[in-house]
Amino acid sequence: MNTFGIFIGIITFLIIGLGFPLVIRGERYFGYWVWVYMMSIGFLIILASLFVQTDWLSVIVGVIGATFVWGSTELKEQAIRAELGWFPFNANKIKLPFTEVIKKWKAPHL
Amino acid sequence: MNTLGLVAAITAFLTIWIGHVAVRKIEANTRVIAIPMLVAIVLGLITEYCSLITDNRSLKTALGILGITLLWDAFEIYRQQNRIKHGHAPANPNNPRHVKILAEYSTATTLNLLKRDPIGRQVSPEEAPKLIHHEEHEVSQRS
Repeated sequence: MNTFGIFIGIITFLIIGLGFPLVIRGERYFGYWVWVYMMSIGFLIILASLFVQTDWLSVIVGVIGATFVWGSTELKEQAIRAELGWFPFNANKIKLPFTEVIKKWKAPHL
Repeated sequence: MNTLGLVAAITAFLTIWIGHVAVRKIEANTRVIAIPMLVAIVLGLITEYCSLITDNRSLKTALGILGITLLWDAFEIYRQQNRIKHGHAPANPNNPRHVKILAEYSTATTLNLLKRDPIGRQVSPEEAPKLIHHEEHEVSQRS
């Protein structure tokens, strides 16, 4: 009997909380097209967690990755929330490479 | 190779996803939200207890994450009701509690204002409902 699972649950909760500003700021500065970058970064972080030997550290890295992947699926709705005035709207977004290509793809939403 | 991070990542992703969908469905269809909130809290605590007594580290991790997510979902059911009041989520006209909210809060609406694609500019409250994607059968009824 040990509290490892509960500790991990609480840490996960705190990391997911960081997903809120990640999505809000990500969309504000780069537009929802940043979803491709956010999702790719997420999968790379999860992949990296496989090579972390310390259990609790591997979990933290994995959950950070999951937060990025989940965040990528929230960006499209966040863009609409900003357009509706529920969040500050930024018209001058920074265009990352391949933005024009990504615009043609359907953004994920769960 | 340590798969514990992968287990945590998959558990976190799936529990957020399922919780995200379930909270919306349950809040929209229950008359008294205190009941599902209580159920989520009890399930969350039971899950955390199971995480405490199990010896398998992967299972401990998954149950720990699931339990905390359930506890948070209880609070999210309450937050969802506030979204309904603000019109940030659609009210269900067949739910008496939502009917009451629709009568009391001028901001509440049965429309899902997020059900569309972004258009890249700010939208006025008058324009917002016109941009919503309508279901195919609704469109065919109109034409």
